Amino acid sequence: MSLGPTPWQLANVQGPRTAKVINNAKVVAARIKRKKNPILIVGPKITREVEGKKLIDYAIEIGKTGMTIVATAHVVKEFINAGFTNVISMGLSDISNRLRDPNWKGFKGEGKPELALYLGGLYYTQSQSLSALKHFSDVETISLDREYHPNADWSFPNLNPKEWKEAMDELVNLLKQ
Amino acid sequence: MVKPAAKIKVDSMSTRTASFKNLEMYIGEIIEEEEEWEPQGPTPFPNILTLRNWSHTLLRRYKPFYAPFCDRCCLCTFGHCDLTAGKRGACGINIEDQQGRIVLLACLMGCSAHAGHARHMLDELIRRYGPDYPINLGDEVAVEAPITRTVCGIRPKTLRDFIPVLDYVQEQVLHCLSATHTGQESSYLDFEAKALHIGLMDTLAMEVADIVQIVTLGFPKGDPEAPLVDIGMGVVDLEKPVVLVVGHNVIPAVGVIDYLRAHGLEEQIEVCGICCTAIDITRYDARYKIIGPISRQLRYIRSGAPDVVMVDEQCIRTDNLLEARRIKAAFIATTDKNAGGLPDRTNDPVDEIVEDLVRGALSQTNNGVFISDPEKAGEIAVRVAMKLAPLRKKYKVIPDKKKLVELASKCTLCHTCQRACPEDLPTGYAVKAAADGDLSKLADIYDACVSCGRCSQVCPQEIPVHDLIVRAAEKQIKEDKYKMRSGRGPIKDTEIRNVGSPIVLGEIPGVVAYVGCSNYPNGHKDLVEMAEEFLKRRYIVVASGCSAMDLGRYRDEEGLTLYEKYPGNFDAGCLTNVGSCVANSHIAGAAIKIASIFARRNLRGNFEEIADYILNRVGAVGVAWGAYSQKAASIATGVNMWGIPVIVGPHGAKYRRQYLGRADVNEDWYVYNARTGEKVYVGPAPEHLIVVAETKEECIALTAKLCMRPNDTTKGRQIKLSHYIDLTRKYLGKEWPDDIDKFIRVEGDIPITFKEDLLRELKDRGWKPTEIPDPTLLPRLIREKK
Repeated sequence: MSLGPTPWQLANVQGPRTAKVINNAKVVAARIKRKKNPILIVGPKITREVEGKKLIDYAIEIGKTGMTIVATAHVVKEFINAGFTNVISMGLSDISNRLRDPNWKGFKGEGKPELALYLGGLYYTQSQSLSALKHFSDVETISLDREYHPNADWSFPNLNPKEWKEAMDELVNLLKQ
Repeated sequence: MVKPAAKIKVDSMSTRTASFKNLEMYIGEIIEEEEEWEPQGPTPFPNILTLRNWSHTLLRRYKPFYAPFCDRCCLCTFGHCDLTAGKRGACGINIEDQQGRIVLLACLMGCSAHAGHARHMLDELIRRYGPDYPINLGDEVAVEAPITRTVCGIRPKTLRDFIPVLDYVQEQVLHCLSATHTGQESSYLDFEAKALHIGLMDTLAMEVADIVQIVTLGFPKGDPEAPLVDIGMGVVDLEKPVVLVVGHNVIPAVGVIDYLRAHGLEEQIEVCGICCTAIDITRYDARYKIIGPISRQLRYIRSGAPDVVMVDEQCIRTDNLLEARRIKAAFIATTDKNAGGLPDRTNDPVDEIVEDLVRGALSQTNNGVFISDPEKAGEIAVRVAMKLAPLRKKYKVIPDKKKLVELASKCTLCHTCQRACPEDLPTGYAVKAAADGDLSKLADIYDACVSCGRCSQVCPQEIPVHDLIVRAAEKQIKEDKYKMRSGRGPIKDTEIRNVGSPIVLGEIPGVVAYVGCSNYPNGHKDLVEMAEEFLKRRYIVVASGCSAMDLGRYRDEEGLTLYEKYPGNFDAGCLTNVGSCVANSHIAGAAIKIASIFARRNLRGNFEEIADYILNRVGAVGVAWGAYSQKAASIATGVNMWGIPVIVGPHGAKYRRQYLGRADVNEDWYVYNARTGEKVYVGPAPEHLIVVAETKEECIALTAKLCMRPNDTTKGRQIKLSHYIDLTRKYLGKEWPDDIDKFIRVEGDIPITFKEDLLRELKDRGWKPTEIPDPTLLPRLIREKK
């Protein structure tokens, strides 16, 4: 049990179980390597730019390392426009519903993901999805956004854009190795 | 029909203690045997257990998906109880059951708001017009109360006939509320069954509320050409005294209008409203004006426009008294639901109340009173406004531009305001830009701002962020002048005769209802774009409540609002505003009427069969894009019980519960073929009963998908699929929806323009044809078992 930083949306106070703080991108890389079939769930803010680079560019780099990307809302269109079509298109409610099902065998029978990373979602819908998995599934969750998400298992604290860019650049480099 | 057992009438009588004239006494009640307008069905006045099988049938396919808002239960003194990691609380409840309990509580709050409103109105209107006042919705509405007929098994002919209906609703609310006490219901499934039952009661209470006000107050009776009325922050003449009415119960506002009429003051006073009271005053008299939905309260009051703020019930900001005080306006509370801690001056002389209010408003001290007599409240509101207006001179608390820049320059870009914003708007950057003289960023976020005021409260520099946004948008506010078609009430039986067949067979691709509140993720323009997308595609588009208001608040290049562009009929390519929140009942009512008028199904006491019909055959979907309230949760759950799916906007994730289907679990998508009794796979139609969409693009594609039904003919399915494919291409950029194969039953379903390419795609996916059944989920409706 730990009490993390203040949630990005101030009244989104959770507990007693709250997210452990990611102090180092190596922690994230280690969790990814340890878990089977990790997926990256990306949301409507994926085209947001931070320090000159769009979140979708990070997502595509991660996708190219072999991780399955699940594009929620209408976001698959952004990936198609960016020339990266190897994504699953599925609403956030639908993917969350599958992840909480102990009998789900994955998108093509490859096995259920043991780890779900989140990037670029609407803060409050992402928080709710994380809450559903926190309470009703054994899937580990990591938020890669620069806002603290108390319902995830792991989350960055509230980072300024520069700090976040450094962390994400390091993560992508570690995943490429 | 309910009749008094005995009625005694005395023209005049004198006794030692009293004298009477025109005395009428009613003793007892009998429910007269009705003429057999239909045979009584199996479930009139159902209790919690009567329809439990139907609820569980729905819940087996559309399993509750919970996203808790809180890790704990804090409802009793054993708490707080930690419910994480599968732990149970001190009473034994776990997190899943606790969510079901919270959902039921929300539905109970919503249902009781509508039922309390209906009860108040029924009692008051019986007092004014008598219990035998007839229920008459015009020659083209013979099925006057489809929900009452179906659920209660009675056909209401007078106001009196609604008394046992509301008594019944109140009884169901009582029992379901008691089930939320500690140590009562122990399963989330039965919390949800009760929530569905209470949602059903909500649709019933709303029908009573709207019918009684339509018939007695002269509202439009299904008129597709109900008048266009003014809506917007800029429509009020600020040279005149202004009475602002806020809430949902139109009776006090009617008191204002009746006083103006009686004293020839209509041209001298502006009466305008926020939320459903506003919609309903324009149904009473189209000359009066709507400011907008609930999100307009704070900004409109702070603008200084209203001289009197009169509130009734529901969705009213609970600090309106204080906000009125800040602008030196008077405040009148009028219903028991919201007495505001104010002195009850109902029995005091009007002249004294007027003087006290004017003095209290100008001195910003005791500016509020509680008046429970709506006619007296109306008189006081008008007389206070007339006295106060020249003295307070539209005193406002929004800073001028010079002050705005001065305040903005204190900003340290800490982003605390953004973190308090429900929409996560970039308010910090906008305030910082304003400090440098650029107000455009503040003006840009005006429409997305829901006027909650949380940003101003948290700013460590005490910058009134909300007020800066309002000041920066002053040009938009002045130009905020639009048209909305006044709420027309019911869908006419004649309209149903025209469209019932095309809807059920799929040739009208669907009925899309934009309903509910204004907590939109990105302003109201998304709502307008969604509605127009489906209007152009010749869906039937219906609207109610705050959504109906916001659909009017946009002009195209030719200066036309949607209501001016599209007719108000219930027909393909038309936009029908049924009215206020309680008029939502007419939307479910339309689906029920299709079952009755088109399909000749008996309604009387026959809920399960009618809901089964609607679920399997009527391609309707509700979109509550900005749903925020407990009423919206209850309404959505109620229409789900009727078999109609609902999409909620992203904030709807905070309702904690969705009813989600699993398109990938084939076993969930079988129905009985009523012709043969065989089980037939029909695909996920509709896939969900209540689901969150995060963006308008996602919502549009989902709307088209959720209009498909097992009963669609091949021609109908072709039409629906062509829209689904086209919208997926347009908004998701994909050539084919990923699940297209699940919605093609036979080759004839494939739209002709896509046939060759789609057949190839289907072959790659290993598609195999199935059959088109006469679908039902109810074994007892199978006509001939093999």
